[in-house]
Amino acid sequence: MTGRVFEIREFTLHDGPGVRTTVFFKGCPLRCQWCHNPEGQSAEIETMTRKGGEKVVCGRDVSALELAAELAVNADIMNESGGGVTFSGGEPLAQTQFLLELIPLLKARGISLAIETSGYAPAADYQAVVSQLDFVYQDVKLLDAAAFRRWTGGDLSVVLANISWLRNSGVPYSFRVPLIPGVNDDAASRGAFAAFADGSKVEYLPYNTAAGAKYPMLGRVYSLGQGRT
Amino acid sequence: MTERIKSLLERTFDKEQAKFRRDVDWKPLLERFVAEGIGDEARARIGLEEMLKAETPAFMDGERLAFLRTVRQIPDLHTDAEMDARRAAGTAFGEKGVVFNLTADFAPTIRDGLGARLGEIDARLAKCRAEGDAEGVDFLENARLSVEAVLGLVDRYRVEAERRGLAEIAATLAHVPLNGARTFHEALQSLRILHYAMWCEGEYHCGLGRIDQYLFPYYEADIKAGRLTDESALEELEEFFIACNRDSDLYIGVQQGDNGQSVMLGGVTRDGKPAFNDLSRLCLKACGELKLVDPKINLRVDKSTPLEIYELGTELTAKGLGFPQYANDDVVIPALQRWGYETEDARDYSVAACWEFLVPGCGMDINNIDAVSFVGALDAALRILIQNHKDTECTFEDVKAEFFGEVQRRADALVRKYRHVEILPGSFVSVISTDCIKKARDISKGAKYNNFGIHGTGIAVAVDSLASVRELVFEKKLVTLSELVSLLDTDFAGRPDVLAAAKAAPKMGNADARVDDLAKWLIDFWGHAFDGKKNDRGGVFRPGTGSAMYYIWHARDVPASADGRLKGEPLSANYAPSLDVPVKGPVSVVRSFTEPDLGPVCNGGPLTIEIHDSAFAMPDGVEKVAHLVKFFIERGGHQMQINTINRETLLDAQAHPERHRHLIVRVWGWSGYFIELDKPYQDQIIKRVELAAS
Repeated sequence: MTGRVFEIREFTLHDGPGVRTTVFFKGCPLRCQWCHNPEGQSAEIETMTRKGGEKVVCGRDVSALELAAELAVNADIMNESGGGVTFSGGEPLAQTQFLLELIPLLKARGISLAIETSGYAPAADYQAVVSQLDFVYQDVKLLDAAAFRRWTGGDLSVVLANISWLRNSGVPYSFRVPLIPGVNDDAASRGAFAAFADGSKVEYLPYNTAAGAKYPMLGRVYSLGQGRT
Repeated sequence: MTERIKSLLERTFDKEQAKFRRDVDWKPLLERFVAEGIGDEARARIGLEEMLKAETPAFMDGERLAFLRTVRQIPDLHTDAEMDARRAAGTAFGEKGVVFNLTADFAPTIRDGLGARLGEIDARLAKCRAEGDAEGVDFLENARLSVEAVLGLVDRYRVEAERRGLAEIAATLAHVPLNGARTFHEALQSLRILHYAMWCEGEYHCGLGRIDQYLFPYYEADIKAGRLTDESALEELEEFFIACNRDSDLYIGVQQGDNGQSVMLGGVTRDGKPAFNDLSRLCLKACGELKLVDPKINLRVDKSTPLEIYELGTELTAKGLGFPQYANDDVVIPALQRWGYETEDARDYSVAACWEFLVPGCGMDINNIDAVSFVGALDAALRILIQNHKDTECTFEDVKAEFFGEVQRRADALVRKYRHVEILPGSFVSVISTDCIKKARDISKGAKYNNFGIHGTGIAVAVDSLASVRELVFEKKLVTLSELVSLLDTDFAGRPDVLAAAKAAPKMGNADARVDDLAKWLIDFWGHAFDGKKNDRGGVFRPGTGSAMYYIWHARDVPASADGRLKGEPLSANYAPSLDVPVKGPVSVVRSFTEPDLGPVCNGGPLTIEIHDSAFAMPDGVEKVAHLVKFFIERGGHQMQINTINRETLLDAQAHPERHRHLIVRVWGWSGYFIELDKPYQDQIIKRVELAAS
C-alpha cells in the first residue's frame, strides 16, 4: 500500500537525539486552531500558493518500500550519531496500516524510530505502532474535555486512554505541551500539566509565532490569528 | 576572562589604538628608489628600515604584550609604471608581486632569537665573500640590516617602556626577540614582533601556522615549573589573539577581514603522532571567549579524531565565528605527498591564508595565482558546439567533451601565463624562513616548494548546468541546444517554462546520482588537468575547489546559466551548493560533495555550508553539528567550513548596521564583520542556502 506524506526533513533538531530525519504524514483527525502545519491536516493532496504566485503541490503518495529506501540513505550517520527517523505530521497514526508496513523495513536497517503524536487514534492502532518504537513524544494539549473539544474538535478521553496505556507500556516517552497564549499558558494550566505528568518528563514548546503563515497559502484563514498582530 | 582582558578586548574592538596612528607620505622614498635605480632587495630592506623608523612606540593601558602599528601606510616599493613595464616585458606576478599568503618558520627564531640569525648571517657572509658570490653577499647584507631595523624598534620600545615604568614589558623586550624565549610569555612577545615586522616589510596575508605545536614547549615548561597555570596561559593567549585584531584594519585584502591571519591546530606531528594538545584546547577556548574575527582558526582532524574534539570546534561555530575550518589529514597529507612534498613536511601542513594548504617556512607556493571559471568554460563550450555542429548532430557526450576541452585549454593557458613568475623579495621574511640564510638567497628566489595553486570557481553551478542541459535538451527535448544558448543571452525571456524546468532539474547537494555523477566526472578531470606541467621554479600546478573572491568576479563575466541562474546572480563560494537551490538538508549536501575523490583537487577550497542559528538553540545542537562534520571527514571530505547565520539578522544588519557591530560571517575563506563588507559580498551570503532552519 502507499502512504501520503507532505515533507521529509533532514537533520531535524527538535525531534529526538542524534542526526534524524522527520517524516511528516499528511492528514490529521484533529483541527487544533493553533496548528503550525495546516497543510498536514487534510488527507487530500493540496496546492499551496506561495507569495508571488508560485504553486507548490503539497503531498505525495509513496510505497513503504520506496519510503524506507529513501530514509535509509542516511542510515549510516543516523546510527553513528544515535539518531534515527521520527514520524510526525499531521497525525502519523491516521496511517497506521502504512506505518505497520514501514516500521519493519526501517528496523531491518537498524534505524531507531520515534513518533510525535497527538495520541488521537484508536487504541488498537496506537498500541500496535507505539509498542514497536524506541521513543514517543506524546502531545498533551489540554486536560479539560470541553476545552479540548472546543480548541481541537476532538474527544479527550481517546487521548487519555492511550496515555494510560503508554505509561505502563515500557516504551520511553516524554510529554510535549505546546503553550498557546490565551489557551493553555496560564499558571493553573501549567500546574495541571505538571501534576498530570506525575514525574514523567514534560517539554513545554513555546508558541510558534510564525504559525499562521501557511494558512493564506492554502486559501485558509488562521482563526487564532484574528485580532492578533 | 579576566577584567584586564575584558577591558583590552572592548577598547581594541572600539579601535582605541587608532588614536596612536598617523599618516606618512612615502612618495619621496619611492621617488628616491626610482631616481637612484635601487634594486628590489635593497628597496625591500630600506622600506622596512624606513617604516620601522617612522614607527613610534605606543602602548595600550593594561597590555603586557607590546607592539602596535602607529603608521597607517606601508611604503610602496615600486611605481605602477615600473610594474607595468615589467609585465609588458613578459614577467608575471602573483597579485601585488610581493611575498604573500605565506607562513614563516617562526619556531626556530622564537627558540634561538634573532641574535642567532645574525650569527648565521655573518658566518654565511664571510663564506659568500670568500667565494665571490655577489648575489649572496647582497642578500645577506640586506638581511642583516633588516634584522637590525627590527631590533632597533624593539630597543626603542624597551626604552619607552622603561621610561613609562612598564617594567615587565621593558624586561621582556630586553631579552626577546634578540635572544631565545625562555617562557610562554616571551615566546608570544617574540611571535608578535616577528609577525608585526612581516606586515611592515610589505608582506601580506601572513599566517601564524601551527601555534599549538611550536608554542607548546614553552607552555609545557612553564606549567611544569609552576610559572603558569591554565588560567594564566589562557589570559596570555587571549592577549595575543586580541593583538591580532589591533592593526588588522590596516592590512591589505580584497575586503576588510580578508587578512590571512590563520592558525592551524591539531593534526599530527612531523613524525606522525597525534598533535592535538592542551594548548590546542586553550586556543579554542580563548577564541570562544573573545568572539573576534582574528586569528582565524583551522582544525586538522582525521578518521580517528574523537567526537569530543569536533564538539570543541563546533562550540565556536555555535557562537557564529565562522570557524574553525576543518582539514582532513587523511586526504590532505597524501595529496601533498603526490605533489612532491616530503612526508614530514606534508604532515606539517597549515593553510596559507584562507584554505590553501601550505607547509610553513619551506613553502614559497603561490597558492591562489589564478582561477578557472567553470561556468565561463561551460558557456564558451556550448557556444563552440552550436557553432560547429547542427543541433541534431550533438549528443550530451559531445557537450561534456567540449566542456572538458575548454577547461583544459584554459588550464593550459594559465600554465603558459605563469610558467615564469617573479616574486618581489623580502629580506626579513627570508631571515625567518627555512634555509634562506644557508642558501644565501631571498625566499622570493624559491624555497623548498614552489608550487602554484589554481582555483576552480562555480563547480556547483557548472555541474547543475550540465545536468540541466542533459535533462532539458537531450532527455525531455524541451529545447534544442542552440535555443537554450540563445535563451541564456536573454535570461530565458519568453520561455518561463524552460526557466522553471531548468530550476527544477537535479541540483548538486541532494545526494542525487543524476547530478553527482557529473560532479565526480568534473572533479576527476580537473584534478588531473595539470598533470606533468611545471613552472620554471620546478613547482607543480595544484588544482583546487576554492573560489576566493572569483565567485563574485567571475559571475560578472557570464550570462545566465543553464541551471536557471540569471545574469548577475552570484555563484556559490568555494565548494558549495548553488545559491537558493532547494536541498534536502545538510546530510545530503555532505553526501553529494563527498562523492568525488577530493585528493587530486587539494589545493584547498572547503565545502562551505550555512547552518541556521536556531540549530544551536537546542542543547544537543552542538553534538549534532559535530556529527555532521565528522561524517564529512569520514566520507573523505578534504576541507569544510560552516557559517552560522540567520537571514533575518543579516537583513536587519544591512538596514541597521549600528546594531550589529559584532556580527561575524564567513565570507570565502575567512571570518569578517558583516557590516564591514561591500554589499555584493553581503548579498551573496544572504542568498546562501540556510540549512537546518527549524
